Amino acid sequence: MSSGAASHTMSGHDHIHPEPKSFLAKYIFSHDHKVIAKQFLWFGLVWLLIGGFMAMLIRWQLANPGLPFPLVGEWLYPRSGGVIPPDSYNTLFTMHGTIMIFLGLTPVLIGAFGNFCIPLMIGARDMIFPTLNMLSFWTLVPGGLVAFYSLFVPLGGSEAGWTAYPTLSTTVGTPGSGETLWAIAVFLIGASSIMGGINYITTIIRLRAPGMTWTKLPLTVWGLLFTAILNVLFLPVIGSAMILMVLDRVFGTAFFLPATLSQGGGGDPILYQHLFWIFGHPEVYILILPAWGIVADLLSFFARKPAFGYKITVGAMAAVTILSAVVYGHHMFTTGMTAMLGESFMLLTMIISVPGEILFFNWLHTLWRGSLRTTTAMWFAMGVIFVFGLGGLTGIYLATISTDIYLHDTYFVVGHFHLTMAASALFGAFAGIYFWFPKLFGRMLGEKLGKLHFWATIVPLTIVFCTMFASGWAGMPRRYYDHTDNPHTAALQHYNVITTWAAFVLGAAQLLFAWNFIRSVAAGRKAVQNPWEVGTLEWTIPSPAPYYNFKTIPEVHTGPHEFSHPALKDRDWIPQTERLPATT
Amino acid sequence: MSTAPLAAASVAPGQPPATESLRTTTDRRLGMALFLGSWTMAFGTLLLSFLVVRRHEEVWPPEGVVLPSMPLAWTATAILVLSSLAAHRAVAGARRDAARWRSWWGLALVTGLAFAWLQSALWLQVWSGGGRPADGLYASIFYALTWFHAAHVACGLVALAWVAVQAGRGRCGPARLSPLLNAATFWHFVGVVWLVLFLVFLVL
Repeated sequence: MSSGAASHTMSGHDHIHPEPKSFLAKYIFSHDHKVIAKQFLWFGLVWLLIGGFMAMLIRWQLANPGLPFPLVGEWLYPRSGGVIPPDSYNTLFTMHGTIMIFLGLTPVLIGAFGNFCIPLMIGARDMIFPTLNMLSFWTLVPGGLVAFYSLFVPLGGSEAGWTAYPTLSTTVGTPGSGETLWAIAVFLIGASSIMGGINYITTIIRLRAPGMTWTKLPLTVWGLLFTAILNVLFLPVIGSAMILMVLDRVFGTAFFLPATLSQGGGGDPILYQHLFWIFGHPEVYILILPAWGIVADLLSFFARKPAFGYKITVGAMAAVTILSAVVYGHHMFTTGMTAMLGESFMLLTMIISVPGEILFFNWLHTLWRGSLRTTTAMWFAMGVIFVFGLGGLTGIYLATISTDIYLHDTYFVVGHFHLTMAASALFGAFAGIYFWFPKLFGRMLGEKLGKLHFWATIVPLTIVFCTMFASGWAGMPRRYYDHTDNPHTAALQHYNVITTWAAFVLGAAQLLFAWNFIRSVAAGRKAVQNPWEVGTLEWTIPSPAPYYNFKTIPEVHTGPHEFSHPALKDRDWIPQTERLPATT
Repeated sequence: MSTAPLAAASVAPGQPPATESLRTTTDRRLGMALFLGSWTMAFGTLLLSFLVVRRHEEVWPPEGVVLPSMPLAWTATAILVLSSLAAHRAVAGARRDAARWRSWWGLALVTGLAFAWLQSALWLQVWSGGGRPADGLYASIFYALTWFHAAHVACGLVALAWVAVQAGRGRCGPARLSPLLNAATFWHFVGVVWLVLFLVFLVL
């Protein structure tokens, strides 16, 4: 150990706080980033199940219009004999989207992995603002409760889609408190993420261990940093939009109500679309950036090779972050914007695909001629390459105005965003869970069940969403209750049937994961300190991580991806705290 | 190499230390800067929204709306500016450990409360004149703007009051500046936002 104590300008950060003693302090209002990470993880996984079940209901109705949902239908919808009523169907697709994005993926990828990985990977004892961290989780919980409660109010939950466009989302289009509560829930969830974002950025800038330079940071941390920047800058935009919507609905203001619709009107519904998508487009990058970072790291780890093009990968993530602010108009091509404005958005949208393509090739090049260790985490990381490739390519059709005018609001769009967002981000989350499970819980997730989970997921998932490209191309509109009630879409019903069968297999496969997760937390094989033999700092401490993380703050000398270095003699990896032997 | 013992640190749990290192001050200032970046985006969004919907009315202010009292509004603005100046004086004094910096902080708090009182008087004046949020665009913007700003004034006043209490107990001051700096910065932000909104919508 070096005696460079003078380098410790971290006064106040390298002493160890006493361990919390009471049940409340340890498990409920914990200030420990690892406990908060687990809170986010459990929260997000439960909501992913709820949102996933809603998808099963949606798919059932589409393939079997008018038939009662099996087993629990009568209990869920007693007044219609188990058949999903049209207004409930609208609520289902609205809440499915809202839940999966805000209450599922965000808590798992950003809340759980951000909290768990950042301090450990940069060599810190905790986040820089632990109380803010605790508040971030406890602001999310009321958001979830409000969203859940909104389903049970007299006129039902929000039916206006997760995008909630006026005038459908005004009191004229959607009376009742369901929509208002939805807006409040989104506001609270956004506030939670802003708090988290401030914490992550400040922690990464200020608490890196000595020697942990920007070019030695794991790519997971880079991805989370860019996500946090986008969160801090763009969540306030939708927060303001939600406030204006609540003011319109509760106090009768006229921001989104056109003059034709009410006496006090005079506002602009399209204004809402601008506000929503100024946030909404960066949001999709918020969801994917952590997954990109995790994938870039894991591919290197399990190919036993340096991550190809580390600096270019960081540059590509930065480019996406900056460009994400100026492409949002591609969600609004059908609103009648001028040709020049439309073409500008089209060009910028095509440009933003280039950094994604660069990442894709960097990943492939990392794999090329590597010694692949095909663990479940690696399978999911490689799976991201596949699904993101497919989903990303279809984005080009949607970036092009001429094809987008036709494909807007069809299943083509649904297929595109599920592959890029749901599949890619979700696979990134799964990869991260399989990878960091040993450090989180001190046990291993079952690998056999894991691999079964992977294959039972990726095969039906590809069928589900690629079928949507076909049906969307044929003109099948989204957000319809029943495609069989008119001859044009009735001719496409077979697509619905295929998609639903595959979706049910996909849904069942996730129960495999749920079972594996719970069983392994309770009784999985005990994990060693570094089961994956990788060099990042979290693997230099025991599994599970002790409450103080590092007994002494580490000093970093090496990058995170130094695998198979010629100077390494008896092993193909080296911890970041050691120096590479001199190659003489 | 730090061999800090695993046992308890030197401060009792739950009590903030009365001093902080320059590093910690910088940490907290950075957090505050990011926080204000967020709020700038929020107010910027509202400003954009107001500007867009205002263009729907040819005549501004529209005919028949209940206008807020300009003398009242100007007075409130002046009081808020004075409050920021007092806070600035207090912080500058605290940095130098000058004698009466706490008094200037108290003045900032009092004038801040005066602003809130004047703002309530403005609402009362418009409301009793028959002005309601559902009246149309002008009323929508007036109420939304002032309510949103008022929420931040409330938070700012709580921060000023909390710092005043902590300063009285010696828990923050020249040796521990970040609570003062951050509360003052937030208060200046609230003041600047008011100036922008006031100028754009009530004057122009």
